[in-house]
Amino acid sequence: MESDEDNMVDANDVESVDDDIYSGELEDDYYYSEADGDGGGEDGGGDDEDGPGYDFMAEAADDLVEDSLYWRQQQSYSILKEDDINQRQDDAITRVSTVLSIPKVDATILLRHYNWSVSKVHDEWFADEDGVRSTVGLLDRPAVHVSDVRELTCGICFEFFPRSRIVSAACGHPFCNSCWSGYINASVNDGPGCLALRCPDPSCRAAVGLDMVNMLASDEEKEKYARYLLRSYVEDNRKTKWCPAPGCECAVDFAGGAGNFDVSCLCSYSFCWSCTEEAHRPVDCGTVSKWILKNSAESENMNWILANSKPCPKCKRPIEKNQGCMHMTCTPPCKFEFCWLCLGSWSEHGERTGGFYACNRYEAAKQEGAYDEAEKRREMAKNSLERYTHYYERWASNQTSRQKALADLQQMQNVHLAKLSDIHCTPESQLKFITDAWLQIVECRRVLKWTYAYGFYLPDHEQGKRQFFEYLQGEAESGLERLHQCAEKELQQFLTPEADRPLKEFEEFRTKLAGLTSVTKNYFENLVRALENGLVDVDSNGSSSRAAGSKDTGGSKGRAGRGKANVKTGRNSDD
Amino acid sequence: MQASRARLFKEYKEVQREKSADPDIQLVCDDSNIFKWTALIKGPSETPFDGGVFQLAFAVPEQYPLQPPQVRFLTKIFHPNVHFKTGEICLDILKNAWSPAWTLQSVCRAIIALMAHPEPDSPLNCDSGNLLRSGDVRGYQSMARMYTRLAASPKKG
Ligand SMILES: [Zn+2]
Ligand SMILES: [Zn+2]
Ligand SMILES: [Zn+2]
Ligand SMILES: [Zn+2]
Ligand SMILES: [Zn+2]
Ligand SMILES: [Zn+2]
Repeated sequence: MESDEDNMVDANDVESVDDDIYSGELEDDYYYSEADGDGGGEDGGGDDEDGPGYDFMAEAADDLVEDSLYWRQQQSYSILKEDDINQRQDDAITRVSTVLSIPKVDATILLRHYNWSVSKVHDEWFADEDGVRSTVGLLDRPAVHVSDVRELTCGICFEFFPRSRIVSAACGHPFCNSCWSGYINASVNDGPGCLALRCPDPSCRAAVGLDMVNMLASDEEKEKYARYLLRSYVEDNRKTKWCPAPGCECAVDFAGGAGNFDVSCLCSYSFCWSCTEEAHRPVDCGTVSKWILKNSAESENMNWILANSKPCPKCKRPIEKNQGCMHMTCTPPCKFEFCWLCLGSWSEHGERTGGFYACNRYEAAKQEGAYDEAEKRREMAKNSLERYTHYYERWASNQTSRQKALADLQQMQNVHLAKLSDIHCTPESQLKFITDAWLQIVECRRVLKWTYAYGFYLPDHEQGKRQFFEYLQGEAESGLERLHQCAEKELQQFLTPEADRPLKEFEEFRTKLAGLTSVTKNYFENLVRALENGLVDVDSNGSSSRAAGSKDTGGSKGRAGRGKANVKTGRNSDD
Repeated sequence: MQASRARLFKEYKEVQREKSADPDIQLVCDDSNIFKWTALIKGPSETPFDGGVFQLAFAVPEQYPLQPPQVRFLTKIFHPNVHFKTGEICLDILKNAWSPAWTLQSVCRAIIALMAHPEPDSPLNCDSGNLLRSGDVRGYQSMARMYTRLAASPKKG
């Protein structure tokens, strides 16, 4: 039953959302494509001029079915819990032991030496068994022959012992039980190097394996040794890594696959398998590490950005940001509504005015008049810091927003869902659309955050790409704001005790939020793919080709490249 | 504690018994502390240390022989792997390559071998290491010989 919820958003639902709340062309684009994905034809008025699939969203939605399949095939990783790791390790050991006809202890030593690659062990062994044996210290005959005497001298304490109390590795060098214990325990306490332990005799390279450790080490050290062996399977293996989330004990086995390295652990943390930073699609690992380096280099300059309050642009009183979305409302009597990022009036943020959401765009301060050389340099330095500040602030704000959304999601699951369920007499299972919305917000904040690192490193001379990128990013930003605001603020009115509003209102809210979630999800998935493709469908002087491809004589629509990257720019400056 | 003392006592008895077994090494246990030893070693022949007698000081840890003894030269020596001021020695078996099967006697032998075969790539004495690395074997030898004569020659009369 629950899965039906996912599919409930059909074209009609979306349309009703559209009719209820939105008007204006930008939104039509959003919803048009959604409807188009479902077969099209049912869109509200005003969309017909677009024709089928002629904007970014619609085109992308067409590819969606194909592409999600594609990604699933690429997504060849599995999450391993401790039991799974043990299981895999045992399997590998058993295979090597069987194929090479050697004891499991020896197979373990071999596998560890060759980073747990079964095929590498096989290759090396069958190419040169003697060489491998001597490298890893697996002797096939004793190095010393102990004559048939009743007592032997321990090579460490130099005491005499009856043979029964003397132990040797495969080499035969005699040491007493307690010296072995001391030797092994000390080595285990020295760290994971104990996994490559050899006979104490300096001239001898005979390996000391798990069997001797289990026979001679004390319990605590046996335990530690087993840990090291398990860790080695994950850490020395080129195909596995630990999940970097603090406290998480899962490992990820990554079987390869081009391009996409994002993995999601069972603990819900997503990270990049390649660089182990948090998941950062659509930007690549190199950009992430450059960006992180840049941030730490500039951290002193940027501290103020992380401050949680800004003066209201109208009344100048400090307003604290305690919500996730960027739409700020000053306290009464001012009540000025503004954008946290650009401090502009919210009413000028696109939707109402039909304008363009542009607070994601960085515009360098115009240089006017004549500068002398020193002044020019100062200005350039100031601009470069300003430019970085612009991107960093937006990157950081989305990060903060994401943290907030995560906390809100928790609060929702722990407290509010039960409350909503009571107030509106609705089973919690039917409130899944709210959790879905929050999960989507968290994911979108992450993507949006990284698009600012993407934008920072997007070459300035690629004008067409930059404009296209900023358009897509602006749309993403405003779409996500709508979703975030709906989940955060509009939900509130259904949470108050006196909220025994008509069921119809709650159902309308459901439709709206679910619709926004689905649309935003599609938009962001397509955004990620477009950026990962490096916006290849835009040639770098995109402005002219866009104008040429426009069907709309009014110039508000444009085509770029081969049709895939069609956008309606909403700006005419360069057409 | 008990094990290290027992082991050192074994080594002590061995040294007493085999006093003349290795004429190049003379190990002496401190009068009051079995964890403190000194050794006199002869500079190996065909090296700039030939004819010198060098004194080593041993500080043996309680975890001996699971942990290596600390050894340093008390006699000044010009050698790439010995700190010129402190006498500290850079030798793998005194660090990560230590084995509990080594003894103070075998450590002395390893140090004599190090005197004959310096490792200029891991220098504690950069001047000395640089001479060897730049190929100035003569320069190294004459410096080393000079310090052997100045610091390590048995007093005459
Ligand atoms: Zn051995
Ligand atoms: Zn023993
Ligand atoms: Zn995890
Ligand atoms: Zn990465
Ligand atoms: Zn105000
Ligand atoms: Zn803004």
